[in-house]
Amino acid sequence: MTFHPRESRGYTRREALLRAGGAAISLSSIPGFLAACGGSTPGTTSTGAAGGWPVGPGGIPLARASHPVTLKRWEDPIASGMKPETGGTFTIFNYPAYIDPAVLKAFGKKYGVTVKVTPFDNIATGVTKLASGTVSPDVTEMTPDQLPRVVAGKLVKPLNLDYIPNLKNVWPGFQSPYYDVGSRYGVPYTVYSTGIAYRTDRVKEDIPNLKPNPWDIFWHSQKYTGKVALLSEERETIAMALLHRGIKDINTEDPTLVNRAVKDLQELYKICSIKVGDLQYENVPEDKAWLNQAWSGDMLAGYLYYLPNKQTGKLLRFWNPGYGNGPIGNDLWCVCSTTKKPVLAHLFLNYMLDNGVGYKNFVDFNGYQPPFNEIQSESLIKKGVIPETLASSVLTERDFGPKALVEAGLTNTGESLWQNGYATFTSGA
Amino acid sequence: MSQALAPRRESEFGYTQRLRGWLGNHWGKPRFLVLVTWSYIVWSIVPVLVAIQFSFNDSRSLSSWHGFTLKWYTSTNPNIDSVFHSAELRGALEQSMKLAGLDVLIATPIGVLLALGLARWRGRGSGASNFLMLFPLVTPEIVAGVSLLLLFSQLLTFVPFGTVAQLLGHVTFSISYVVVIVRGRLFSIGPSYEEAAADLGAAPATRLTRVLLPLLLPAIVASAAIVFAISIDDFVISQWLSNGANSTTVPMEIYDATRATPQPSTDGIATVIMVITLLSVVAGVLVYRFFTRGESGRGSAIDDVAGFGI
Amino acid sequence: MYPRWLWPLTALPGVVWLLLLFLLPLYAVLGVAFGNVDPVLLQPIPAWNPADWNTSWFTHVLGQLVPGNAFWDVFVRTCEYVGLSLAGCILIGYPVAYFVARHASRTKSLLLILLVLPFWISYLMRMLAWINLLSPGGYGLRFLSATGISSVLFHLGVISDPSNYLGGQSFTVILGLIYGYIPYFILPLYASLDRIDRSHLEAARDLGASPFRAFWHVTVPLSKTGLLGGAVLITLPMFGDYYTPNIVSGAPTTSMIGNQIDLYFHGGPQPTIGAAITILLSAFLMILMLYYMRTIHRASREIPA
Repeated sequence: MTFHPRESRGYTRREALLRAGGAAISLSSIPGFLAACGGSTPGTTSTGAAGGWPVGPGGIPLARASHPVTLKRWEDPIASGMKPETGGTFTIFNYPAYIDPAVLKAFGKKYGVTVKVTPFDNIATGVTKLASGTVSPDVTEMTPDQLPRVVAGKLVKPLNLDYIPNLKNVWPGFQSPYYDVGSRYGVPYTVYSTGIAYRTDRVKEDIPNLKPNPWDIFWHSQKYTGKVALLSEERETIAMALLHRGIKDINTEDPTLVNRAVKDLQELYKICSIKVGDLQYENVPEDKAWLNQAWSGDMLAGYLYYLPNKQTGKLLRFWNPGYGNGPIGNDLWCVCSTTKKPVLAHLFLNYMLDNGVGYKNFVDFNGYQPPFNEIQSESLIKKGVIPETLASSVLTERDFGPKALVEAGLTNTGESLWQNGYATFTSGA
Repeated sequence: MSQALAPRRESEFGYTQRLRGWLGNHWGKPRFLVLVTWSYIVWSIVPVLVAIQFSFNDSRSLSSWHGFTLKWYTSTNPNIDSVFHSAELRGALEQSMKLAGLDVLIATPIGVLLALGLARWRGRGSGASNFLMLFPLVTPEIVAGVSLLLLFSQLLTFVPFGTVAQLLGHVTFSISYVVVIVRGRLFSIGPSYEEAAADLGAAPATRLTRVLLPLLLPAIVASAAIVFAISIDDFVISQWLSNGANSTTVPMEIYDATRATPQPSTDGIATVIMVITLLSVVAGVLVYRFFTRGESGRGSAIDDVAGFGI
Repeated sequence: MYPRWLWPLTALPGVVWLLLLFLLPLYAVLGVAFGNVDPVLLQPIPAWNPADWNTSWFTHVLGQLVPGNAFWDVFVRTCEYVGLSLAGCILIGYPVAYFVARHASRTKSLLLILLVLPFWISYLMRMLAWINLLSPGGYGLRFLSATGISSVLFHLGVISDPSNYLGGQSFTVILGLIYGYIPYFILPLYASLDRIDRSHLEAARDLGASPFRAFWHVTVPLSKTGLLGGAVLITLPMFGDYYTPNIVSGAPTTSMIGNQIDLYFHGGPQPTIGAAITILLSAFLMILMLYYMRTIHRASREIPA
């Protein structure tokens, strides 16, 4: 079987055209979403066949904690009990600097392969590159909101969990999560919340206790001009602006709310000459940014790896909005349809869920914790691995309770709305 | 009041007059221009020298000097990404060299042939071809990157992304440089040598290979050097047509580093690639000199380089 | 002298190559800009037949290209950056090229080598060099504040923070653009200045023109082709730049039209918008190019070589 990667993914041009005939996104649908107004629950936006509940790509209902989704397997998983493939390269598609090179080296040594990482800028770029066939990795990092898309597009393969016994190491709720009941396509990699990273030597405000809420600091950051940055992710920036207004529905597809959030973000140009980027884990420890929207793992990563000296470590803080108050999420590993080493790819997923490997990856390099039962902030502090000042960076399963604010999948019109909003923000207009 | 001011004004006038006189320097070189020129040259080169300096810095810092080391080039310590031992940086160097070498091998012959054709073909389609040839020179790279990305993902889907796609892109945007340089040389040679050879009974094939080709050789060498440099320098096309880690080039590596925290090894890899380019240019100039020895006029490669684009 | 079919034949490989890999790709952009998007994978579904063209993306982009909307602001900013950078290149580049072409004698070869040198050094490396210089504690930053240049720039309102050149300053982006592109401007200009026959100037001086008048009425018009050629050679690529602002600023307020194209192509449901902006940008640049060619054509008629 020597398919070209782009043929082997099984999703043909013909299928695409058929779909296009039926429901291609075109701007003719924009008046539709402009007209769709009001409600901030998904139920009032475009709805599909799933009994009034809105659907995402491929007609898959949008997953919410209250509406778990079981993804259909588009092919049979690989058979159990096969030997892993050896030799050649094993390619991992991931965010840059988001996995410990030492862990990868050890994996390569164990199974006799050369492990390479192909980085992507952000998850949307990653999915686009998978879809266009510019890359053909063995395994890929994924987020729950993009999972239905890559499943419907047959870009990732259904899993055979017989190869992944280590799944038992993760928090019970993540062994069969609401976005993929039965873990049919992915296993968890890390968990994180979105908050604010800052340096106490530069930022004098008591951020966690700011009124009306700490997000407000960005709109009062004149004195930190040029040293303030947001994540370069459309979901995170706009969600932050929504939360700043006290709006907790961070999956809204209401144009009025999204557009007002964008307007709020645009005010930041004048206030602090806002920057966007995904390098907070280096820029804050390196003093290039003082006040930075960040994920909970960033300051740990900065502390554990990028710190110029340990003294600076005491200056780093992360404000975690806490349960039900700020965005929270997790990343996954999936096996790509382009893999020629499906068994080894499964074993890689299992490897990353090994208690020792996951812990090493977390504290030696990554700073983003795996959702392992074994990992707790108290013991990490006691062991001296992380400073008490960064205890808020470590999450527990409780943070993922029913009131958690998860950035979940959107309909296609919703995605266009958010993308255009983000484009407006980054245009500096 | 006015009397008190008068002498001072005069002296002020005298001062500015003297300054103007010094800068204007009517009897020699205008010193103002000397000043501007040398300031420009210092400004254009010193930052690069500083970057080279810091590739030898015995610290991760790129702004404060901590003494000399070669570790960013040669260290085998796994915690240091040294230019010659980090798989990533070495891979980028190899990819850049591979693309540039292949680009020269493909774009130069095609460009030379096209230059000959465009200079001498007078039939239908020649005007349009001329026009077509000029446009890659002024097309913004992002338009080039986008269009080739869409071509290979939508139309010519059998072309795999990575080295093959990158190479096709590089060649496309190198051909025109070869044409412009070689055609310039063709015009300056004129047809007289070939006419003389024809009068002496040389067959067309002989005239091409024994008369025209040797005369064109300097321009061919110059254009090969330029194609090499363009390919090494290219960032946008390589980035848009990359398939990930296996096809990262040096400029892509530098770009990723500048958006994060560049290290001395980033300066190091940039230095290495600069040295390689300069060596290839020097070699090109020497070969050029060798082939144009004894020619009248100021036939320096620099004039040919300077002359392109207009 | 040669068979008639020979020259079209030698041109053939190059012409075919350019048709296939330069012109056809541009059509691919058109097809995408007027096409649809696959709702699942968000990949473009191009419309190859103009009869099937879907113009809604285009009208959307055009709608944003009116004053007060996002694309308009980015476009205006791009024009400002390119215009100011071009002005900077002329102000610095003209005296330099003029001096080397007209007045350098003994040092001419050395000067030429130094002028050409940056041309052979990777653009990205030259940007990296500025990151080194302008980072906190960097030589450049220290030089600028020690010489008082920083405070002058600050008081003139050119920069908003004299200690943070990399914090989203338009000034730094323009500086980066000038620094990056000026070698490509100086070389053609030098070539055209070098080509001017000194007897023209001597004639002007003999007829009583002051040095300045001679410069303005003889040298400048005669170097017009080089000036315009250099300008075209740098402005057109500058219009498509997205990496320079990304490297030396990273702030939305300094983003250029290329950054918007980049954004729409790197993920999300609307690659078609990226394609539509690309088409509009290309059309705009085509107009500039045609203007240039017409001017050159006229100039070559006015001044017989």
